[in-house]
Amino acid sequence: MATLFETRKLGLPLMNLIRLEGLPILKQLHLEEELFRTSKDNWCIINDGTDDPTIVMGISGKPAELLDIQPVLHDEIPVIRRFTGGGTVIVDPGTIFATFICNKEAVPGLQPYPRPIMSWSSLIYEQVFQGIGNFRLCENDYAFGDRKFGGNAQSITKRRWIHHTSFLWDYDARNMSYLRLPKRAPEYRMARDHMEFICRLKDYLPRSTFINKTVEALGTHFSLESVVYEADKDPSAIKFMPTTRQLTREELEEALSATDLENCSAQFASL
Amino acid sequence: MITRRSFQERQLVSAARRLLFPQFSLAPVPPSSEFPAALQFYSPLSCSPSATETLSSIGSRVRSNYQYTLMRFWSSGNALEDPFCGGLIDVPLAQTGEGIAECELLKWYVKEGDQVEEFQPLCEVQSDKATIEITSRYKGKVIQILHAPSDIVKVGETLLKMTVKGFQLEQDVHDGLESINSPSSVTSKSRNCGILSTPAVRNLAREYAIDIANVHGTGKDGRVLKEDVLKYALEKGILERPPLDVAGMQHHNLEGLNNQQSETAKPEYQLNDETIPLRGYKRAMVKSMSMAATVPHFYYVDEMNCDALVKFKTAFQQSNSDPNVKHTFLPLLIKSLSMALSKYPMMNSCFNEKSMEVILKGSHNIGIAMATPNGLVVPTIKNVQSLSILEITKELMRLQKSALDNKLTPDDISGGTITLSNIGAIGGKSGSPLLNLPEVSIIAIGRIQKATQISEDGNAYAVSIMTVNIGADHRVLDGATVATFCNQWKQYIEKPELLMLHMK
Repeated sequence: MATLFETRKLGLPLMNLIRLEGLPILKQLHLEEELFRTSKDNWCIINDGTDDPTIVMGISGKPAELLDIQPVLHDEIPVIRRFTGGGTVIVDPGTIFATFICNKEAVPGLQPYPRPIMSWSSLIYEQVFQGIGNFRLCENDYAFGDRKFGGNAQSITKRRWIHHTSFLWDYDARNMSYLRLPKRAPEYRMARDHMEFICRLKDYLPRSTFINKTVEALGTHFSLESVVYEADKDPSAIKFMPTTRQLTREELEEALSATDLENCSAQFASL
Repeated sequence: MITRRSFQERQLVSAARRLLFPQFSLAPVPPSSEFPAALQFYSPLSCSPSATETLSSIGSRVRSNYQYTLMRFWSSGNALEDPFCGGLIDVPLAQTGEGIAECELLKWYVKEGDQVEEFQPLCEVQSDKATIEITSRYKGKVIQILHAPSDIVKVGETLLKMTVKGFQLEQDVHDGLESINSPSSVTSKSRNCGILSTPAVRNLAREYAIDIANVHGTGKDGRVLKEDVLKYALEKGILERPPLDVAGMQHHNLEGLNNQQSETAKPEYQLNDETIPLRGYKRAMVKSMSMAATVPHFYYVDEMNCDALVKFKTAFQQSNSDPNVKHTFLPLLIKSLSMALSKYPMMNSCFNEKSMEVILKGSHNIGIAMATPNGLVVPTIKNVQSLSILEITKELMRLQKSALDNKLTPDDISGGTITLSNIGAIGGKSGSPLLNLPEVSIIAIGRIQKATQISEDGNAYAVSIMTVNIGADHRVLDGATVATFCNQWKQYIEKPELLMLHMK
C-alpha cells in the first residue's frame, strides 16, 4: 500500500511549498510575483496571517472608488495595489493566505482560464472542508452555504497562472469601515449587508487543522517539497522589479482631493 | 506548384478558422475527425464541464464544443465581419471564460509598427478576478491599436489590426486599392492604416460610403469619432440637413412630410445602442424590486395640511445657531411618523412568510430613500423613537453626505423597519412605491404645494398641501389599519403641538 502510494506520488508534478507565518503582505505579494514571473516551477505559498492591517486592492483598483481615504490617511493604513485582478480586501493577523502558482500544463486537462482554474481550486478545498459546513464555490468566492469566507484573484500569462486566496479566519468588523461598498457585487450577495454576507473560518475548524488539511489535499495533486523562504535578501542582489507596490501618501491625498472636487449631483431626501 | 498552392489554401483556411478563436497560447486540442489533421486548432472552449455554463448574452453564443462554435461563427460571420479589410487582420478579444462578456484593458506590450512573433504577449486585460495576458496568434506587424488602457473591451471586439505575412489575400487587396471605384469597395477595402476609430464608427462610415481615412478625427490621439463621420457626411452632402423651409413643406401631404422628415431625420438622430451593466445599488434594486413585485400591495392616499409644519421649520431655522445644521421638513415628518408608529406598531413590522409570523419591531428604524449617482439607496435612521428632532436632523445630514460620497456603511443601510420616500424633493405630487421587504409599509411623500381650499364660510384661502401615498402589504395590513394610522400621523403633522403632548 505504501509502495503504491509512493509510486502514485512519483507520477505527480512537483510543487514547492513555502509555509510562512505573519509575513507582511507586501513581502508575500513580492515573493509571489517574482516566483510567478521568473520561476519555472510550481509553487504553493501559505502565509498564516500577516502583520498590521493593510488594504490590498486589485491591479486596477482606484482608491477614490474603493476606500474611505480620509480615515485611511488618518490611521495610516497601508494601501497596496497588487499584480492580480479582483477586488479590495483589508488583511490582518486574522487572514490566512494560500497561493497556487502553476505552469499551464501542471494540472492535466486544466485550461488556463479564470473559470476552470477557479473550479479546480475549489476541488482542493472541497477535500479540505469535507464534512465541514456546506462548502462551495459561489461565483468567485469560497463560501459556506451563501456566506463568503474566502476571496480569490488570479493572473494568467502565456505559460503560467497564479490563483491566490485570502481566507477570513477572523476579522475585525471595524476595519471594514475603511472600505467602501464596491460598485460590483456578486449576485449571490442578494443585497445583504456585509456582516450577513461573510463568515469566519474559525467558527468551522481549528487554524492549524485548516492549514494542514490544505497541504494534505494539495499533496494528492502534487508531489510537495518544502522550501524555506529567506525573507531578508541583500537589496543589491534583487534583480526582479515587482509591479505590486504600496501607494504613497501623496497618491492617496491626490485621490482624496480629486474626490472632493467632483460635482455633487445627488438628489437629497430633504425638502 | 500544386503542393505549394494547396499549402497556401490550407494556410488561409487555417488562419481564417483560427481567427475565430482566442489568441491565448494553448495546448492544441486533438483535431476532430471532421477537419484535416493538418489544421491546428486552439480552442479555449473545450475545457471543464463548467465551461458549458454561460451567463452573458455573448457567452451564451459560445459553447464548449468548439466545432459548434466554428460552424456558428463561420455561417454568421458577424463577429468577424470582413476580417481581411484593407489587407489587415482584425484581432478580437476572444472569449476568456464563460460568463465573461467584457474585459478592462490594462496595458499594451506592443505599439503600432511593432513586429510581433507568434505567441508574443500583446496586452494584458482584466476580467473580474483575473488578469490575463493576450498573446498573438500570428507573426506579423501591428498596424492599428484600437483601445487604450482602462478601456472596457467587449468579447469579440477588435483589439488591434495587424498584417500577417504569407497571406495571398492581403497582397491582392493592396494591389487592388488603386483601382477602387465602387462605393462598396471603398467602404469594405478603404485604407484604415493609422486611423484610430472604433468598429461602430467604421461601420457608420461604411454606411455612408465614406473612406474613414479622409475624415479628420477630433478624438484622443486623432481618433475618428462618430461625430466626425457625421460632420464629414454633412459637409460632403452625403447627409442632408433637416429642411429649414417649413412653408415649402406645407405643400407635401402628411405622409410625404413624415417620410421626408424620417428620411432626412433618420441619419442625424440615429444613435447606437448602449449597453449598461447594472452594478452595486442598481443591481440590488433589480433584486429587491422583483421580490417586492410579488407582494400584494394596496395604496392609501391622503393630503396633509403642512402650514404648521412650515411655521415650525421657519422657527427652527430662525433660532438655529449651528451653521452646520440645516433644518428641513423631513426630520419633523420622521419624528411625527415615529410617534404615530408607537400607536400603530403593525405598520412598523416585518412579515415572515415562511413561518406566517408578523414581527412587531421595537425600534423605529426609518429608512430614507435617496437617489444617488450610484443608484437608489435606503439608509436608515435608527431608533427614531429615542431621538430628538435635532438629533434626527443631524443623523439625516450625515447619511445624506455619506450617500453622496458613496460612504454608506453596511450598518447604515440595514435594519430598516419602515421606509420613507421623499419623491417630492425631486418633483411630483405623489408616487406608488414598492415595499422595501421585509417591511410591510412604505410611504411616498410628494412635494409641498400651495393649494386653494374653501373654508366653511365659503372663502378661498391658500394652504400648503402635501400628498402622501402609503403602500402596504395587504397580506398583513388592511385598509382600516392604514387609514387610522395615517389619520394619526396627519394629526401630528397638522398639529405639531400634539407631538409635545405625547413626547416622552
